[in-house]
Amino acid sequence: MTTDTRRPSADDPRVLLDEEIGVYEQIPPYPPRTEREAEFYTLGDGQMFINMGPQHPSTHGVLRVVLKLDGEKVVDIDPVLGYLHRGVEKLCENADYHQAICYTDPLEYISSLFCEWSPVIAFEKLLDVEVPRRAEYIRVLSAELNRIASHALFMGWFALDLGGLTPILWSFIERDEIVEMLAALTGQRMLFNYFRIGGVNGDLNHEFMSRLGFWMSRATQQIESNLTLLNENELFVRRARGLGTIDSATALRMCMTGPNLRATGLPFDVRRAHPYSIYPELDFDIPTRTEGDVLARYLLRMDEIKQSLRIIDQCLHQMPDGPIMARLPRLLRPRPGRAYAAIEGPRGQYSTYAISDGTDQPFRMRIHDPSFIHLQSVGLLMPGNLVADTMAVMASLDPIMGGVDK
Amino acid sequence: MSRAWGRLTLPGKVVFTLVPLLLVLSVALVIVIAVFGGAMLDILVANVGIVRFLVAVTILLLLAPPSAFIIIYMEMKIIALMNLRLGPDRVGPWGTLLSTVHGLKVLMKEDFTPTGADRIVFTWAPIVVFMASVMGALVIPFAPGLIAQDLNVGLLYFFAVGGLSVVGLLMAGWSSYNKYSLLGGLRSAAQMISYEIPLTLSVVGLLILAGTMSLNTIVENQGPWFTDWYVFQQPLGFVIFFIAATAEANRTPFDLTEADSEIVAGFATEYSGMRFGFFFFAEYINVFIMSALLVTLFLGGWQAPFPFPELHIALDPGSLGIWLLLGIAIVPVVATLVLAAPFYLLRSSTPWWQALIAGFLLFNVLAVGAVLGIAYVNFDFVAGILWFMGKTYAFVFVFVWMRGTLPRIRIDQLMGFAWKWLLPASLVNLFVTAAAIVVVGN
Repeated sequence: MTTDTRRPSADDPRVLLDEEIGVYEQIPPYPPRTEREAEFYTLGDGQMFINMGPQHPSTHGVLRVVLKLDGEKVVDIDPVLGYLHRGVEKLCENADYHQAICYTDPLEYISSLFCEWSPVIAFEKLLDVEVPRRAEYIRVLSAELNRIASHALFMGWFALDLGGLTPILWSFIERDEIVEMLAALTGQRMLFNYFRIGGVNGDLNHEFMSRLGFWMSRATQQIESNLTLLNENELFVRRARGLGTIDSATALRMCMTGPNLRATGLPFDVRRAHPYSIYPELDFDIPTRTEGDVLARYLLRMDEIKQSLRIIDQCLHQMPDGPIMARLPRLLRPRPGRAYAAIEGPRGQYSTYAISDGTDQPFRMRIHDPSFIHLQSVGLLMPGNLVADTMAVMASLDPIMGGVDK
Repeated sequence: MSRAWGRLTLPGKVVFTLVPLLLVLSVALVIVIAVFGGAMLDILVANVGIVRFLVAVTILLLLAPPSAFIIIYMEMKIIALMNLRLGPDRVGPWGTLLSTVHGLKVLMKEDFTPTGADRIVFTWAPIVVFMASVMGALVIPFAPGLIAQDLNVGLLYFFAVGGLSVVGLLMAGWSSYNKYSLLGGLRSAAQMISYEIPLTLSVVGLLILAGTMSLNTIVENQGPWFTDWYVFQQPLGFVIFFIAATAEANRTPFDLTEADSEIVAGFATEYSGMRFGFFFFAEYINVFIMSALLVTLFLGGWQAPFPFPELHIALDPGSLGIWLLLGIAIVPVVATLVLAAPFYLLRSSTPWWQALIAGFLLFNVLAVGAVLGIAYVNFDFVAGILWFMGKTYAFVFVFVWMRGTLPRIRIDQLMGFAWKWLLPASLVNLFVTAAAIVVVGN
């Protein structure tokens, strides 16, 4: 008879445990693999690690951030990616050109139309297709609606990360109306899968137009009144101003694009810099701000909503008649070659590089996602801030983890 | 016997166990009272102070959860309406029972202690926090004569007991073996100790004016007109006290200790079940108590804003004789029929029984209204408690409103605001009050 060395569990004394359940060791459990890891995981005097995510309430998806803290002050951070990795680029190589579009759809699930748009343009360049003008107008119209939905949601999440309860629900009301009307147009609420190579899937219908007309009649006023809750709030402005500042040189060095770059003063917008679709014919401004802080990034996105409303208005007035799809064979076999297409998404330059080898499947598809590019600058922006501001800085860059992990 | 027992359902087993037990206990109680009744009564009369204290404490402890339930429901509903949602609307009329269901749910959940936690401290922390907030209610005058213990150092006692809750929060943060909890606990310690100072200093001017620390006397001083309320003599003190009270109660925009977007749930991260429930109740009781203290100190407590004309309805049912009996028998029936008549006559689709139910409910509403009206006129404490609760819940509404509107402030802004703005402002308030009293004289 052997002596029973097992000990009762702390939670349920009836359960006997073989080994003593201790307190787990520090992260990481493995010996450091790089110099950077070795440097990061060495604690200085009075410092501690804290693990945020992937189940933290406000990490915008499944991002995990290891923070090195000195009291409440962030000394260093280590973002850990890959919790949402699906291998989209590889999946696209094993699908034909039509199927590849729906794989790219859920990358940035808040603004799916832009994720479709960039590969669609790339494939059209490979195939040398002329897209009907009505299809281009419908694309711009629906995509700008999607941009407004994305920015509205950004406003809500950003306010929630700063502790405001109400804006998230107000912005979800705006987003829901847009999503409902896009559902009437495309048949889906979130992952639209609407753009096709050579056009769009369906023409404008009555429900979409009536919803859009009703929404446009009150959108400007409604968004303005939503914004007053934050823009005129001293607590909010004081927390956001001067936080996470980045200058334009550093922003360029970190490959920032989109609102995050324009908030530093550079008016770079793919819609104007490298025009595509019908944007050269439309009249809109590129808002910029010079501060480059969290507040500037927030206000800039709110200005972009107004410009998007202008674009939608012009699209509705100039919408031509005609077909919505180019005449194309069902099976697409582009000639061998390469094509690159960049568009201006709500988060920045979203581009696709596609290589064709003459078969009906892309030989290689490289997706350049702005969320991933922007997330690399958190290492610059966070140190020196307090724990409370880490999430605000992260939210102001507006990353979507679906696009980061691909 | 055992087979019969096994066939019983669960309620049956409970009834068959409890009923004989209760019978035996009741008989024993009757016998004890019959034998020792006189002696017991003598002891109670001799120690009437202690008895009154014990009764008051029991009532306060019993009333604490329901008042927390009311505030939780208020918060859920009001914030929902501000968010353009519906809020709770399923359990009970307009969802009023939802917070009670929340309380029961919390009771039934698993009570979990994480590995590595300091079990004893971990268990005691919620109790300390809860008791610290409930004990503050001991000195608050709810109505004339309706005060658990009229201490002559009531305000001092209140601040002393209120300061205890920081010990509980620190215990919770330290014992959880979680860094988020630790951050939350340390934040609460820093915040509550900092805001304790302006909170206390802001009422010193008022104490100079009142000349007493007894809350009952302070309320009695503020009458009979609303111009006598201290808020008009101490406006700055009132504002400072309100801000510091928000911070003391850990409410938005000062809810850094449980900031969910930063440190998950702060000190309560590792708590579940009723231990979490105690924290939850303590927070809302704190809101009530802080509102009550604000009203007591600055807004006249149970005083009505203006003196009502003396009105006394003599109630002497005995003098009615047989008419009392007839009234009790006839009035409800006649009133129900009269009130049901419009429903039945003016809307032909209403069945007669629905009209009767509507009439009966309407009669009840009117009767309760009449009884309340008579009670208000005849009894001081009814009027007092109505005014006190009205004012207090108005401030609870303001706390909830702020939570629905404002974002959270940062920890350095929080500390800077306390030490750079509130503390000097409360000192200015104190000096101005003292100088005014010296110049004007009492």
